[in-house]
Amino acid sequence: MKPGIIDYIILATYFLYVLGIGWLVKRRVKTGVEFLTSGHSIPVWVTSLAFIATNLGAQEVIGMVASGAKYGMLTCNFYWLGAVPGMIILGVFMMPFYYGSRARSAPEYLKLRFDEKTRGFNAITFAIMTIFSSGISMYALGLLFQLVLGWSFTNSVLLSAAIVLVYTYLGGLTSAIYNEVLQFFLIVLGFAPLAIMSVMKAGGWAGVTARTTAWMARQPAFAGNPDVMTHTWRYMGHASSNLMGVEWFGMVFGLGWVLGCSYWCCNFLVVQRAMAANSMSASRLTPLIASIPKMVMPVVVIAPGLAAIALQQMNVPGILIPKGNTYNYNLVLTNLMAQFYPSGLLGVGLTALFASFMSGMAGNVTAFNTVFTYDIYQSYIRKHATDAHYFKVGRITTVVGVLLSIGAAYWAAQSNNIMDFLQLVFGFVNAPLFATFLLGMFWKRTTGHGAFSGLLVGEIVATLTLGLTRAEGTGGWFGVVHTFPSAMAQNFWIAILAFASCFLFTVLVSVVTRPKPVAELENLVYGYTQIPTEAHLPWYKRPGPLAVIVGIACILFNIWFW
Amino acid sequence: MDDLRVPIGSFFVILGVMLLIAWFFVSTSAPLASPSVNLWCGLAMLLFGVIMLLLARRGKAS
Repeated sequence: MKPGIIDYIILATYFLYVLGIGWLVKRRVKTGVEFLTSGHSIPVWVTSLAFIATNLGAQEVIGMVASGAKYGMLTCNFYWLGAVPGMIILGVFMMPFYYGSRARSAPEYLKLRFDEKTRGFNAITFAIMTIFSSGISMYALGLLFQLVLGWSFTNSVLLSAAIVLVYTYLGGLTSAIYNEVLQFFLIVLGFAPLAIMSVMKAGGWAGVTARTTAWMARQPAFAGNPDVMTHTWRYMGHASSNLMGVEWFGMVFGLGWVLGCSYWCCNFLVVQRAMAANSMSASRLTPLIASIPKMVMPVVVIAPGLAAIALQQMNVPGILIPKGNTYNYNLVLTNLMAQFYPSGLLGVGLTALFASFMSGMAGNVTAFNTVFTYDIYQSYIRKHATDAHYFKVGRITTVVGVLLSIGAAYWAAQSNNIMDFLQLVFGFVNAPLFATFLLGMFWKRTTGHGAFSGLLVGEIVATLTLGLTRAEGTGGWFGVVHTFPSAMAQNFWIAILAFASCFLFTVLVSVVTRPKPVAELENLVYGYTQIPTEAHLPWYKRPGPLAVIVGIACILFNIWFW
Repeated sequence: MDDLRVPIGSFFVILGVMLLIAWFFVSTSAPLASPSVNLWCGLAMLLFGVIMLLLARRGKAS
């Protein structure tokens, strides 16, 4: 891939805009609360797009194109099962408590609802995770640009880190959110032409279906159901009959219920965007509106992956590069760009890639900021300082957070195994959290001791399950009790067991410990929270009707590509 | 900053114009790209940018 001068001008224009937005926002951000939480000031269309843009990091874009090529339409389950239901649950059921409690972060909600130790546990694990996630994002960027463009790893990492640092330092969360909206449009408009052109080249959807079927027919294991790549549910009955090696139960409960909901409802990274909205109803609408573009995102990110397989079947060179006895799927996106994007559009595509890396990084940095300043610094280091003091701490934390991420990126570069391992662990470290939040919000009897011990047991069960089972060469360090057909199935089942054990243990310990007095549960628990009535609003501004429409649309998508 | 639609709109207007320039002056091409891809994408981004700017103007007027 050889970008021309026009491509570099496009990239430079984008950098100028990003920094400019940071500089313009700076004039509006005058207090620590505004810097770290946006002070409940952002309109709903902005928070909604930022809500999905934070999740639309480059690993997501590159990874989903790769999964599209590897698993086909089955990848849509990450959207229509693993995302939309979780977003609906957040908007309809959970957001009233996050927003109504006036907590500034998800760990702070745990402090208000339960106790200090539950908050501390969550805040510290979350802070460590965000730093590593941001570092892994940077590492992936450096590696990709080195491989595709021949840029130096250090230069790419430092350039992207410096830009993210400047705009988050200047305008804090507001600046990150505003830039995420620009990034969202850039990612969609920058990659949509690739999806359109690659699918057209492969003969439209009919051509993609016919050619992927011909491709799978060559593999003995799928000779009986060669159309496996263009269906989401038809072959989920048994793990051996679909490409992910997962059966429907692990998929529905592991991905849909536990991993999907724990990510979309309990990960402060995304929840923070909804909490920044300018009213309770805006905060509830945020995930619901966001689920509409999320639902159609497979067109942009999964279709090119499927088209890549069809093009390979047509013997188009340079798309699927062999790697060992399989293919390097992570390069499918950039290989397609090299084939389809001439100078000009190539600049837009590269800029969109940069934008997606930066939105992933900035999201982590701003979430780390808030959690460190309010849940670690203010709780354990200096309790009663002025807002100006926490403003300063927030800014310093931004710098420190970016520096730590750079460190994490270089650490990941030292040892590839470490990164795979961390991604595996991050996959399920959140899983028990959904049980904690669910019980905390909907069962008034849940106690702080119950929540804390449930979380702890959930994490231990997750670690033990990984240590005692094996799949595709991972896990099983303490002996092998069970072998999963795929790493994906292993991950889903770890999540299911972590959730179930956390749920069970939280209930058991809560029953034998003293509950919080009802007076202290106001605005934290269902039944003791004033949810503002929305009857006077038109139906499209009310969470209930919107959730029903989005839910039905999501079910129709599942049936359409059954 | 009052309205995010202004920077987003102006960014895509600039991007659209740049793609039109690339279509008109730069003759490089990618192996599978049709020759007018920069033209179509440039027009689409220009249109998107103009709509954003118009929305921002209407929002300001009301």
